[in-house]
Amino acid sequence: MAPLTQTKTGQPVAPRRAFSWTWLGVAPFFLFVAAFLIWPTLSIIAQSFLDQERRLTLHNILELGRPFIVSSYVYSLQLSAVTAVGGGILGGLLAYAITIGGLPRPLRDAVLSFSGVASNFAGVPLAFAFIATLGQLGIVTQWLRSIGISLYPAFSLYSFWGLSIVYIYFQIPLMVLIMAPAFEGMRREWREAAESLGATPWHYWRYIGLPILLPSILGTMVLLFGNAFGAHATAFQLTGGGSQGNVVTILIGAQISSDALANPGLGNALALGMIVIMGICIGLYAWLQRLSARWLRS
Amino acid sequence: MLKRFWSWFWFIVGATYFLVPLYATFDFSLRARRGEVSFVAYANVLNDIRFVESFWFSFQTALATIVISALVIVPTAYWVQLRLPRLRPVIEFFTLLPFVVPAVVLVFSLARTYSRTPLTDSREGLWVLLVGSYVILSFPYMYRAVDTGLRSINIHDLTEAAQSLGAGWFTILARVIFPNVYTALLSGAFITFAIVMGEFTIAALLAQPAFGPYMNLLASSKVYEPSALAIISFALTWAAIAAIQWIGQGSQARVAGPR
Amino acid sequence: MSTEPRDWRRSRRAFLRAAVGAGAGAILAACGQAAPAAPTAPAATTAPAATTAPATTAAPAQLPPPSAPGPLTARDAGGLEKLIELARAEGNLSTIALPDDWANYGEMKQKFLEKYPFIKHEDLNPDASSAQEIEAIKANAGSKGPQAPDVIDVGFTWGDIAKKEGLLQPYKVEKWDEIPDALKDPEGFWYADYYGVMAFEVNTQVVKNIPQDWSDLLKPEYKGQVALAGDPTGSGQAINAVWAAALGNGGSLDNPMPGLEFFKQLNEAGNLLPVVAKPATIAKGETPIALRWDYNVLANRDQNAGNIDIAVVVPKSGSLAGVYVQAISAYAPRPHAARLWMEFLYSDEGQLIWLKGYATPARFEAMRKAGLIPQDLLDKLPKTDAPVGFPTGSQINAAFDMIKSNWPTVVGATVQ
Repeated sequence: MAPLTQTKTGQPVAPRRAFSWTWLGVAPFFLFVAAFLIWPTLSIIAQSFLDQERRLTLHNILELGRPFIVSSYVYSLQLSAVTAVGGGILGGLLAYAITIGGLPRPLRDAVLSFSGVASNFAGVPLAFAFIATLGQLGIVTQWLRSIGISLYPAFSLYSFWGLSIVYIYFQIPLMVLIMAPAFEGMRREWREAAESLGATPWHYWRYIGLPILLPSILGTMVLLFGNAFGAHATAFQLTGGGSQGNVVTILIGAQISSDALANPGLGNALALGMIVIMGICIGLYAWLQRLSARWLRS
Repeated sequence: MLKRFWSWFWFIVGATYFLVPLYATFDFSLRARRGEVSFVAYANVLNDIRFVESFWFSFQTALATIVISALVIVPTAYWVQLRLPRLRPVIEFFTLLPFVVPAVVLVFSLARTYSRTPLTDSREGLWVLLVGSYVILSFPYMYRAVDTGLRSINIHDLTEAAQSLGAGWFTILARVIFPNVYTALLSGAFITFAIVMGEFTIAALLAQPAFGPYMNLLASSKVYEPSALAIISFALTWAAIAAIQWIGQGSQARVAGPR
Repeated sequence: MSTEPRDWRRSRRAFLRAAVGAGAGAILAACGQAAPAAPTAPAATTAPAATTAPATTAAPAQLPPPSAPGPLTARDAGGLEKLIELARAEGNLSTIALPDDWANYGEMKQKFLEKYPFIKHEDLNPDASSAQEIEAIKANAGSKGPQAPDVIDVGFTWGDIAKKEGLLQPYKVEKWDEIPDALKDPEGFWYADYYGVMAFEVNTQVVKNIPQDWSDLLKPEYKGQVALAGDPTGSGQAINAVWAAALGNGGSLDNPMPGLEFFKQLNEAGNLLPVVAKPATIAKGETPIALRWDYNVLANRDQNAGNIDIAVVVPKSGSLAGVYVQAISAYAPRPHAARLWMEFLYSDEGQLIWLKGYATPARFEAMRKAGLIPQDLLDKLPKTDAPVGFPTGSQINAAFDMIKSNWPTVVGATVQ
């Protein structure tokens, strides 16, 4: 291991020779990505530019401009954003409740382990669970009807808002699982110290709590966004019959996993579009991080 | 006191939202016989030997995935926070990529890439591809969980202190960092576990006797068994995660000491 | 959180390096896929005569050449007994996209494995679409593991497409001559297995007044009750439902547009649900009227007899027959087991198993004339006077294309 020297301020500085060691730290990660993720990603990129006869073409990319495809991207983006923020807020509240909020310990454990399962309860079982609850003949729908409130046709489980309600079933647990440790990392001594100096809860959160938690909150919301953006099975079960707006993942499925002759080039181009959007999302998130760090420090 | 009230309030709202659909599924699963409450759907599921076999197979796969994923992610997240913060967006981009790569593209691309190796000539070889894919799928969650956990400890001071005491990198990671991100790691482990237990497409196309394909086998053909199976698998996965939690909390106390 | 400027510069440089590397890799990959790779193409064209397709632009240039195809008939193999021996040596069979409850495949697989217990069966992705099956062959070309499918069951037009891409090997079962000419490839690369007719599946506990025809579905009493069984831009069953609707609304086998118009009306009336209909949603009553193949409907009815009441209705003004075909993969790691499977499917026993599942098997006419079909089975088959269209391969291609590309703009809602 390379010997460390120190700068005048006492920070350890890796000398030039340790350049290779710095990268060794992230080598396992990149090796894994190279072994299992690079080829699929490259194949998506490459195939987006091929047509049915395997010639290079921009046609697939241009097809992405068709109105129903654009509206599909918009629909996906809106759904992902809404459920990321909604799931983030509600999940944050729940995470707070079970940690700092003072609920008994066994409850915290139960909520966390339940969240583990619920975070992946998606697809056919989730869709059916909600059909059985809020569908036209769902138990909640029927109960509401019995007390005089008629959900349908004003509300439909198969609309944007219905889908959102279903999506946050796996978004909230994700937020809870990731933020609960973060909330627990907030030492009680900080709160007590702040209060002893006369800080109100608002002051505490504004100057201590949020600055510490905001990067994690933002990062987790990006995770929630990606989670919703890439979700397919749940949306397919509820809206795949095709008469409503469709999320992009369903469009991709119709091209690459279809019984009809499809254009895999278009399917890959759609996926490439999603990759680009995720990249932009990360960029935005990194920028937001820097911005918020600067703002909170002021 | 007010804080306590709101905590209970959100908990109850949350519990209602999460439990009612489960109840609706349970209610439906009891209707396999006309006009009477019947557990015959559950009997059909539990009597199937494939149920136990596939559950056990996925359980083992999940554990392997969690271990490998933790071993890859923790050093990476630590290193990025410590030394390479500018690399963070790149790493995060790659960890979020699995969301937008469709599972069928992933599995067929891997089948193609490794088609000239022994990995695609036997079920055992394919299992390696399966675990590799699952580790990739777990990256977004593991990374975010560990990254969040690392932010709540001051890794610079801890590292400096450990180094000044003569610790090497391995010791730092194993005895300083790992114990401190334990809770966060557990969160990531829970999510990964659930993902592996429920995953279908990759397991089905790699010919693996996993729980996901088994559940799917029932879902398309039968009416009440899928709901029964959803409830059973939910309960079992919950129990398994609670077990991991219980064991995890025990060893954490031993390793990290009182906080 | 501060780090030294040196690391920043290094990371930025390294990042740029990585990005350039990835970009170069992508371009190389694209070139590699687009240009027919020279070394393997000649090998493919000199492969034994069975692959008749000359190297077309869609030549699988990067697919390895398949091994020599197996025997064309059982006689070429040395007789059925010899075939069984060769299959025994292989010991495995991988099928794909065969759900248990589809055309009684559950019993088919079970009886096959009972008859030949030395075969270990791998049931790959029962939900796979035809495209996935073809992709599975391509992606696993050259691999010997259980994930490489030996046999496929795909939609009618896929037979020809797969043949042109060199993905199949020919085999003519013992009863080859009894399969109607219109339903098979003359060289034996693919052959029809069964067909069914598009029908309404009605949960009569929820829907008291059973619709008898397409026009009935538009009635306001069926608001929010009609659903397709898949994605009408991707699922064969759903696309065929749209096409069948065309036949009942003034369209024809060459003109599926009226079907799209019909579904547009259905959607605007609020009768069409976007939910994917499954046995569970039908039983729950959420999608009490589903459009599925009659063999699926009848299988569901039988399975839930005594609990849910399902009625099967073939719409009076016309419906459509959907044919599926079998084929053996050119890259099948277990070609003799694959042939054994085919022999079983087309044996009297196999054909009757399909018939028990209410799917009309390819040898139906020949077997009926020979009196090989038990009368009680014949009686159980649903009778219908409705005109049923039997499309040709080119009609299927054209119609699927039209429905698939026009659905989003004609019926689908473009949100915001």
